[in-house]
Amino acid sequence: MVSLSLIGYKIKKNPIITLLLPFIVLVSVYFVVFRTDDSILGIGSLPLGNHKWAHEMEHTWYFPFTSRFKMPRYSYKTQHNWLFNDRVEDIIPEGHIAHYDLNKLRSTPDAAVDKERVLILTPLQSFDQRYWINILQLTYPRELIELGFIIPRTKTGEEALKQLEIAIKNVQSDKKNQRFAKVTILKQDSQSFDKLQEKERHALNVQKERRSAMALARNELLFSTIGPHTSWVLWLDADIIETPMNLIQDMTAHDKAVLAANVFQRYYDEEKKEDNVRPYDFNNWQESDTSRELASSMQPDEIILEGYAEIATYRPLMAYFHDKNQPITEEMMLDGVGGGCTLVKAEVHRDGAMFPSFPFYHLIETEGFAKMAKRLNYEVYGLPNYLVYHKEEFN
Amino acid sequence: MKPSNTSKWIKSSIISILGSVITIILLLRLILPSSLSLTASIFKPYVPNFKNVPGVEFYDLRNYQGNKDGWQRGDKILFCVPLRDAAEHLPRFFNHLNTMTYPHNLIDLSFLVSDSSDDTMGVLLSNLQNAQSQKDKSKRFGNIEIFEKDFGQIIGQSFSDRHGFAAQGPRRKLMARARNWLGSVAIKPYHSWVYWRDVDVETIPETIMEDLMHHDKDVIVPNVWRPLPDWLGNIQPYDLNSWKESEGGAQLAESLDEDAVIVEGYPEYATWRPHLAYMRDPNGDPEEEMELDGIGGVSILSKAKVFRTGSHFPAFSFQKHAETEAFGKLSRAMNYNVVGLPHYVIWHIYEPSTEDLKHMAWMAEEEKRKVEETRIKEFYDKIWISGFDDVRDEWETEKSDILLNIDLTSASEGKVEVDWSDDDDKMNFAHAALADSGQGSLNDKTKNEKVNDANTNNNAGQAHKAAGLEVAPDFDPNL
Repeated sequence: MVSLSLIGYKIKKNPIITLLLPFIVLVSVYFVVFRTDDSILGIGSLPLGNHKWAHEMEHTWYFPFTSRFKMPRYSYKTQHNWLFNDRVEDIIPEGHIAHYDLNKLRSTPDAAVDKERVLILTPLQSFDQRYWINILQLTYPRELIELGFIIPRTKTGEEALKQLEIAIKNVQSDKKNQRFAKVTILKQDSQSFDKLQEKERHALNVQKERRSAMALARNELLFSTIGPHTSWVLWLDADIIETPMNLIQDMTAHDKAVLAANVFQRYYDEEKKEDNVRPYDFNNWQESDTSRELASSMQPDEIILEGYAEIATYRPLMAYFHDKNQPITEEMMLDGVGGGCTLVKAEVHRDGAMFPSFPFYHLIETEGFAKMAKRLNYEVYGLPNYLVYHKEEFN
Repeated sequence: MKPSNTSKWIKSSIISILGSVITIILLLRLILPSSLSLTASIFKPYVPNFKNVPGVEFYDLRNYQGNKDGWQRGDKILFCVPLRDAAEHLPRFFNHLNTMTYPHNLIDLSFLVSDSSDDTMGVLLSNLQNAQSQKDKSKRFGNIEIFEKDFGQIIGQSFSDRHGFAAQGPRRKLMARARNWLGSVAIKPYHSWVYWRDVDVETIPETIMEDLMHHDKDVIVPNVWRPLPDWLGNIQPYDLNSWKESEGGAQLAESLDEDAVIVEGYPEYATWRPHLAYMRDPNGDPEEEMELDGIGGVSILSKAKVFRTGSHFPAFSFQKHAETEAFGKLSRAMNYNVVGLPHYVIWHIYEPSTEDLKHMAWMAEEEKRKVEETRIKEFYDKIWISGFDDVRDEWETEKSDILLNIDLTSASEGKVEVDWSDDDDKMNFAHAALADSGQGSLNDKTKNEKVNDANTNNNAGQAHKAAGLEVAPDFDPNL
């Protein structure tokens, strides 16, 4: 302390300081207050001496931004690449004022009698003639059925689109009462859900990516096609080639928010030398204690998948609850569903239940959808004895 | 021919062939502008033709991903407005709509009218009719759809009903359902952008769409403030739902149960999150961006693909949030970027809360009282001036004359004797005597004052009566 005061004293005695100090003060005051080009205090170009607050400059408190900054000037000239224009004229409805009362929308067990519209949605990687024939055989009135397809941006997708175009033109140019109410075909921006081949499609490491892409495709299809009249949404995979003819009536009769049919597959049993069926879709399941424990120990971005030895969940799978001696109307509560053949009340989707493309409670796509429907207080059911058939796979 | 000649000839012929090929292509392109089949087949994948097939639509979603200069490329905007008891706000809202600079034919309007007790529907329809029958056809809008759906109202619509803490969770979930019903049914494959807007916005730039769109973000919101009466400080940040996640917020979220909904701006949930609203610098650059996790719903511009691929307003507790805040979180979870503009502000209307209303009533009362008081004061002053003569100046002059013959110094000649002895008894006695006399005199004083007060009060009362004024009994003229 003594030395400090000594230094202070010496400085005070120094004549240079007495000369310099006022000068320094004057210069710094000039720099801070009166310099205009760049401010030391970082308050912009205005000198501090005549600094004004923004509201003083604008003469109001309510301005979107200061006039010091100019928003870009926008040009309104239409722009398009006139030589390589790849945009096709769309059939977009004319402007008008439409008025819909969604309070009148119902999803009841007597769907066909009440004239409730059903929207059948299919992500279409490849077009199977048997799938189309099966659709045409459904007994539900066609004027109440809307179809929606989404096609990946790939070679096979293009092939499927051509076949679908022919099939649809045949039906829609036919007699009026044979036509579907509406058909919407979407082409995806990305190749996404089709880019993985059939063989590697079930490998665990590619599953997450594939299911995520599939979820995006399903959502794009769903939210583009669901309309003001839609009462039910039926998710039917392009690989489902055989269903009961009364599929929609049978499933709506259960009056469940989400209802999954049991997806089986026909095959030729080499050992018994006869045609047989086997379970195919393992995404319809009930939660088990093991899987709950598994989920709680997982990282937030990990997912549980069914049917892999690496992840043994011991979940009761609906596929194994099939008993041909029991009535086909038997129901069972589910926690996860697959997308093979699942009927959903439109209100579930309207409330926001969609197919998560990210781990949602460690679930993804259709299984995540079931979880989300449950979070929205809807119940999820399955029909273990009501079979629909997936097409065979040749590896 | 010489070799140099041949090479020249070859050169010129190549140039001429090239030139003619290019001209043919250009001519074809100009002659057949509508038939894209030629160029399409070369540069484009297969496109089915459903022109003459009833009830079939084909859309290539690549064309509807949303451009940052959408107004020049014909990007259609879906303009979604949820309405409830909004009749009084609609005229202002349609004024904003009409002055918007984005090409109106590219804007599709969608309204959801729910649980309204006033004539929202009637006002909406008449406003729409006006808008669509404008002489200037470029002012008319594209496709317009109105949806009605009642969700049952659990909470009243007054400001304090809506903004009370306990009401927030269920209320937000219900509003989320309403938004989802509107969004899911209104969005068509050919929409490139979706704009969500509340009706009760007071000041908004005409170029709001372009201003938000040219940032080319998946989800973008402006800053939302509101004007206030000057007794509340002129302006205030309004939308506190736009924020960036903080550690405090994450910890709080972990401590809550699955169905809980964190709502921002209430002391019950202290999250210490940086809010977009508070980031505003009035001198700041309006183009500046800020990454967000939760967003508010007053004015959201998002690419249509965000909603199409499944992002929505969760009507359940998604990561402990619901509605627009959860929409921000959900979009982030789906790898979309969510951005706010801190220095670009739109102004929400000011609706007084019940407390504000009380305060305003009190202020009105106070105003009245003050007017009354000044009137009385004026009257008093008049009485005072006319009722009493001010003789102080006279006294000053006369004082010296009156005191002229009095010798003030003679008073000090009498000796004052003080007994300084240490006798305790005496002292005590003296003290007691002193106290007694003191109290006595004090009592006398107060009595006198009371009498005086009563007199003045009476006088005042009489004076007021004389002036025809009413005076409250506890009125104090000294205040």
